[in-house]
Amino acid sequence: MNLLEHVLYWLTFSFLIVLSGLILVRKVQRILPFFALYAWLLLTGTIVLYLVYGHFGFNSSPSYYSYWGSILANASARSLAIVELCRYGLRAYQGIWSLIWRVLTALSIYFLAHAIVDAWGQPDRFAIYGMTLDRDLAFASIVILTVLLLFRNYYGIALEPMQKAISLGICIVCAVDVIGNTILRNLFTGYLFSWLSSSQKALWPTLEPQVHLVRDVWSTVHLFSFMFSIGIWCFALRKPLPAPTESPVLLPAGVYRDLSPAINIRLATFNDRMVELLKP
Amino acid sequence: MNNLVIIVPIVIALSGGLLWLLLPQRNTSASPASSFHPEINETLPSPRHYKHFRQIRQALCAADTEYLMKFAPPQVAKQALRERRAVARGFLKGLHEDFSSLTKLGRIIAALSPEVNRRQETERLLLTGKFQILYGLILLRLSMGNTPIEQLEHLTGLVGSMAARMDEAMAKIAVLSASQQITGSLGS
Repeated sequence: MNLLEHVLYWLTFSFLIVLSGLILVRKVQRILPFFALYAWLLLTGTIVLYLVYGHFGFNSSPSYYSYWGSILANASARSLAIVELCRYGLRAYQGIWSLIWRVLTALSIYFLAHAIVDAWGQPDRFAIYGMTLDRDLAFASIVILTVLLLFRNYYGIALEPMQKAISLGICIVCAVDVIGNTILRNLFTGYLFSWLSSSQKALWPTLEPQVHLVRDVWSTVHLFSFMFSIGIWCFALRKPLPAPTESPVLLPAGVYRDLSPAINIRLATFNDRMVELLKP
Repeated sequence: MNNLVIIVPIVIALSGGLLWLLLPQRNTSASPASSFHPEINETLPSPRHYKHFRQIRQALCAADTEYLMKFAPPQVAKQALRERRAVARGFLKGLHEDFSSLTKLGRIIAALSPEVNRRQETERLLLTGKFQILYGLILLRLSMGNTPIEQLEHLTGLVGSMAARMDEAMAKIAVLSASQQITGSLGS
């Protein structure tokens, strides 16, 4: 790691400690347990990786597996935090929730299957599996969050500030991950792949500085975005969380059954009249 | 899904969209369902613009146009016609607002209903999309100089009857909700 990466690493670590502390102080675990779990897992992962790097060395096999293991664990915890965001505040709206969860579940299954198939077809390297899975899960996270917010906006069910901050932070982390991992993955499975085989071992010393440069640039960008997201979460937690909103008073089921078809018929007639307006 | 040229724009577009959705909306009624109380009728979206059609019709009637073309100096007639078109455009925008209010009401009812029909929801979404396209085309036509006054009248009549039906429906909802709340409080 170069100096900039060291500074960013320690800053991110400090931010993670602050975030974990704020989560405990504001009792976020009571409202959003999976987000709290995700934040604590990030902190634990960072400490474990630091210890493994210190004990086995940065380029050792345990460090390699620990790093990619922590990446996959973080992606799983992040996915759970997104599921929690989807459920939060929407479950009380029973009617539209029954519609929304089906759409979101179908999307999740599609993306999860896609991620597995995508990783399955990769060359037999743990890093490339991990990178592909992480990238596809991050892409799925952005799509699912966007669809969730579209639904919420359409039905006029606003997100609370803390949930907005969580969504924004996850979106930044995921967007940078998808773009960075796609570039890296394309490099390692395309241009650089033949250079990484043992038959080219003699050329590795020549290639090493290039690989390090790519890794350093990516690491810096990743750390920046990660720190920025944690900063957003810390900022959102600077004040005590407001009391959870009360569940809405639902209308009798007959109201929708009576009115919805009538509204749609009227809208269709409205559109027919609009078509008439267009006739010469 | 490995082509950088495809992935990067998609991710940027999705992230931009997500950011836009997270921003506070300009329209204060952007959160109707979460702030909706059936007993407060003032919070409900209601059509307003269709009520002014009589005055608009007067301003846009064909006799006036003929008179202007016949007796006014060409410059003045042209200016007057341009202004009339602007009036028609403004009125159409008002009708668009009325339409949006009604669809918003539909969404509030869906959000507050314990069960919704997937087909009904999809249909309303498609009808709203179709309306947006038609509205754009009609605005374009009005900008090109054509003022279909009779068809506008039909459309206005329709919005009026929709509004009347919605008023009835909302009164019914308010009564039902009030009785439900009373039953709920008696039961608890």
